[in-house]
Amino acid sequence: MEMHWNWLVVTYLFLGGLGAGAYLTSFAAELGWLGNNSGLKRMGYYIAGPIVGLGTLLLVFDLGQGFYKPWLLVRLVTNFSSVMTWGTIVLAVFILVGLLKGYLTYKNEAVPGAVTWAGAILAVATGGYTGFLISVIEAIPFWSSGIIPVIFFVSALSTGLSITVLLAHIFEKEASDKGREDLTHIFLILAELGAVAVFMWVMNSGGNGLIAKKSAALVISGKYALQFWGIFIGLGLLFPLAVYTVQHLASKAAKPTVKDTSAAAEMTAGGQKQHHSYLTIIADSSVLVGGFALRALIIFAALPIWDGIMIP
Amino acid sequence: MDKSNELKISRRSVIKMGALFAGTLAVGVLPGQLAQADPNIPKYPDQLGFMHDQQKCIGCRKCATACKTTNKWEDGVKWRRVISSGRPEVYLSISCNHCEKPVCVSVCPVKAYKKRDKDGIVVHDKEICVGCKYCLYACPYHAPQLSEETGRITKCHFCYERQAKGLKPACVEACPTQALTFGRLVDLQKTEGGVAQIQWLPAPELTKPSLVVIPK
Repeated sequence: MEMHWNWLVVTYLFLGGLGAGAYLTSFAAELGWLGNNSGLKRMGYYIAGPIVGLGTLLLVFDLGQGFYKPWLLVRLVTNFSSVMTWGTIVLAVFILVGLLKGYLTYKNEAVPGAVTWAGAILAVATGGYTGFLISVIEAIPFWSSGIIPVIFFVSALSTGLSITVLLAHIFEKEASDKGREDLTHIFLILAELGAVAVFMWVMNSGGNGLIAKKSAALVISGKYALQFWGIFIGLGLLFPLAVYTVQHLASKAAKPTVKDTSAAAEMTAGGQKQHHSYLTIIADSSVLVGGFALRALIIFAALPIWDGIMIP
Repeated sequence: MDKSNELKISRRSVIKMGALFAGTLAVGVLPGQLAQADPNIPKYPDQLGFMHDQQKCIGCRKCATACKTTNKWEDGVKWRRVISSGRPEVYLSISCNHCEKPVCVSVCPVKAYKKRDKDGIVVHDKEICVGCKYCLYACPYHAPQLSEETGRITKCHFCYERQAKGLKPACVEACPTQALTFGRLVDLQKTEGGVAQIQWLPAPELTKPSLVVIPK
């Protein structure tokens, strides 16, 4: 059977998670979960709505009727037994709330707590939805697993944190503490590694049937092995994990020395900071590449429960 | 400075996280459950189905050809397919199985699919299909077919318009050996040697297809 979902859908799933994760990053920073003086309190709010909006626009390009008869899209919200209908509603409302929150944050205006919290709940739903959409498809055994939404959601948080850190470092001039970014990201990557390991183990051991095992083999040792081990696991998870761990340990060790300052120590610390932010940019970019590779692998390794052409 | 690295979780933030988690479950889990719930609580006593007798089928493909001419397939789609086995002279003629639990009906976000109450025929309205292709992945029998040219799905509708005029479905009428027949599913299921599934096909529990095969 020919598989018709392509790079547009992969990008859409990736951007959906990315925007949701960016919102939740600034949300966590605003609540103080990422440290007392986090520099991430605003950037995630600015980009969440536009990123998810862009992803949704790409999906419209993928729809066969996106250009011929765009008025038909209104009906996307009509079937409440379809996960896609739920997703359309969640994404549409999240884009609006995200844009509102971003705009008010930019204008330095007070944002009602209800808006901020509604956005956070919608962000969680958006991040989870990208996985739910495919996990309810029983005819694709590789997708038909409750672990898929978990992996996609953790990856959404991780990529969202990375894009927010990247852009905040570039555009936000105010000095701020690095706080718990590294530690948080270490936890997220470990959680993702764990979830992916469980998922691959279940699929590869035949826990979801022979077809799922074939899909898993494509990823672990077949034609997608290089992308899986090299880009997703190596570049997307292990490399940034190492960078964040080293930085976290270094910042812990460096902090007491900053207190009893000498000129030399300050210079070393300053030099180290530059070095760290340079590495951070590479590591955060790697997280984004890995997150994209994850969606591509899951979508392209899908095999139908019956190919439609084989009978005994 | 060191304190910024310690996790400070107050009771308030625990409650907030709890509320966030509960909200997530409410928004996120609900659609999943709805999608799995059977949308057709009333059964279909007069459900129509196809029966394919592999012992009688000679692989002439007249069923597929008749379907193509009668229903004017869009480019690149196949409403009915005759599949050749690895064994000589063994074929399977298959189309939409007008399932009792049609997953296309539940996944389609625009309600393009409708299952008729009176005979259980699943009809797809190509005029409102947006071409999202979700059903292509959801249907384990590959009954929904995409035309790249028109950007929309079409599929077998059991020739319900012909049937309303008292005619047989085009495929059944064209079959020279009566290998392909149709009727009320409950009657077809009484046929000697008839089975709901042959090897390698999806488990019938998945969608409960209205198909009976007499294997060879």
